[in-house]
Amino acid sequence: MIKKKITILNSSGLHARPSASLVKLASKFKSEFYIHSYGYRVNGKSILGVMTLAAESGAELELEIDGPDEKKAMSAIVELAENKFGMEDE
Amino acid sequence: MEATNTSECTIKGRGVGSGVVIGDAFVVETETKVVHPVSIEPAEVKHHKSRFFKAKKKLSSELTLMAQELDDPNSSEIIDTQKQIIEDVEIEKNVLQIIEQELLCVEHAIFHTYDGFIEKLKESASELFRQRIVDLENIRDQFVNQVTVQTHKKSIAKGSVILAQQISPTDLVSFYEAGAVGLVMEKGGVTSHAAIIAKSLGMPCMVSVDQATKGVEKKDKVILDADAGIMILRPSKATLKEYKKRARALLEKNGSRKETIFKTSDGYSYLLQANIEFEAELAGIEESGAKGVGLLRTESLLFGSTMRKSVEDQEQFYSQILSGVEGPVTIRLFDIGGDKTGGRTIRESNPFLGWRGIRLLLDKKQLLRDQLRAILVTASKYPRRIQILVPMVSMIEEVRAIKQEIEAVQETLHKEGIKIEERVPIGLMVEVPSVALMAHQFAEEADFLSIGTNDLTQYTLAVDRGNERISSLFQHYHPAVLRLIKMTAEGAKKAGIEVSVCGELAGDEIGAAFILGVGINTLSMTPPSIQKINQVLTSRNKSEFQAFAQLAVAKSTAEEIEQLFEEWKLDA
Repeated sequence: MIKKKITILNSSGLHARPSASLVKLASKFKSEFYIHSYGYRVNGKSILGVMTLAAESGAELELEIDGPDEKKAMSAIVELAENKFGMEDE
Repeated sequence: MEATNTSECTIKGRGVGSGVVIGDAFVVETETKVVHPVSIEPAEVKHHKSRFFKAKKKLSSELTLMAQELDDPNSSEIIDTQKQIIEDVEIEKNVLQIIEQELLCVEHAIFHTYDGFIEKLKESASELFRQRIVDLENIRDQFVNQVTVQTHKKSIAKGSVILAQQISPTDLVSFYEAGAVGLVMEKGGVTSHAAIIAKSLGMPCMVSVDQATKGVEKKDKVILDADAGIMILRPSKATLKEYKKRARALLEKNGSRKETIFKTSDGYSYLLQANIEFEAELAGIEESGAKGVGLLRTESLLFGSTMRKSVEDQEQFYSQILSGVEGPVTIRLFDIGGDKTGGRTIRESNPFLGWRGIRLLLDKKQLLRDQLRAILVTASKYPRRIQILVPMVSMIEEVRAIKQEIEAVQETLHKEGIKIEERVPIGLMVEVPSVALMAHQFAEEADFLSIGTNDLTQYTLAVDRGNERISSLFQHYHPAVLRLIKMTAEGAKKAGIEVSVCGELAGDEIGAAFILGVGINTLSMTPPSIQKINQVLTSRNKSEFQAFAQLAVAKSTAEEIEQLFEEWKLDA
């Protein structure tokens, strides 16, 4: 199991569409993926789970990935977050 | 409705088709309310789980289709997100847990699970997150509706009369297959899609019946008299007895049908064909005496309860139709757009003047080519029986483009070593006035023309046929419409090609008399209308129809034409 902290850079936070991109990417990996944020823990492969985190801009999330392809998954997800989940102008 | 739950009560509406049925009321709830937890037995768990999976699959395949139909990346991204929300792993886990461990019904499991997430979002401080709540509620309601509709289909008893605010044609067919005998809708006009299908299935139907679903108890007796346009709820013994007598008399009258001959009294031949959309309607064709299918609608392949969009599924559907009837079958290419978008997402301010029919198909090449391939392969198996009909043509360029597409698909099939039918006739729908006005030019480019009178009326008179407020302006026999039909007949004749009418007007006594009178001798209509129309057309000789048509086009109003017909009838 590996863990890493990231910060949400999108100005509107992690709303429906960035959540959708995150879940879509995470679902490609076999590893289990959980997100911890301010005491909550949600399934990172569930769009509703991610949305209900209501992570706003600047929010800190801890990613927890566990499984055979955890390293690959982590770097892909971190990269997506750094690229503001593929959303432009945010 | 003021009646108490025991007294007889008559409600007026507009009858569609004809006939009388007596049955038990079956109310279809389409409004979503709070879904209460209902306990289930451990033996029912499997069934409730499978309903969840079925509904999920249905909703997500509808969304996939919709995404394919929208090229716009923005919209497909939104649809993609909706799909993820429906397929969400946590939703599934939660729903199954409620069904399996709490032993509660699937409707509640879905409702409760989504509500949990909605509540969490409501706590969120950010406005942007709270905006999403409406979307989630929407998806939750669609999901619950989807499983509810499935339950209805399962639980409907044979001989029931459906009472609904409004239902989709595919749901209607499912109810029909489960044994429903009549349909009453609060909304919808006589030309609404479900009403047309009900008529075709020979199912008495009423529309615009105010409050039809209110105050009705399960299993209340209902009499539906489509001829009189009334529905009688909880009839008294006397009323019931009278209606049973009438229903029996109607049945005997219909049972005594002889072989249908299509000739005017002086021996001029014409052809009456059937308009159909579903396999379920095949049985009615033989009974009606129709010779072949003049209009096979195909949109339900895309929007039906099970999507049948693949080439293989389509081939199977077409083959089933071809093997189920005798004579020619005219297959109309997908006429989507307008009011048939599957109900959602494609927002245009003027959908009927927008991206529909051939306009959409020429932009959606894969959809078009798959359908052409399925039709052309089927055509080779049923030689000289299939014709292709192109919907919503308004420009000559469209005709040329579609012909090229058809040739290209034929060529591909040939290269693949698949046997092809060399000449599959290609026809154009005459629905837009431009085509009627230039009928000769269009006819030169096609093998046949087919007039769709509903849309032709709508476009000629600028009257939205779905708008109840102006429904009195939607006049089938407006002289302007009749003139365009005459022009089309003349243009086709000049070019030496066949022309037919496949709209509602063909199934109408006045309309049919006029159509034959302008020299169009192929009429396609819902099967139950065929005997009635044949009675009119066999009753007189050809020159009398011609005389009627000539007088009719010279009139100034639809009312004058109706009067003329009454006089003409008496003049026999």
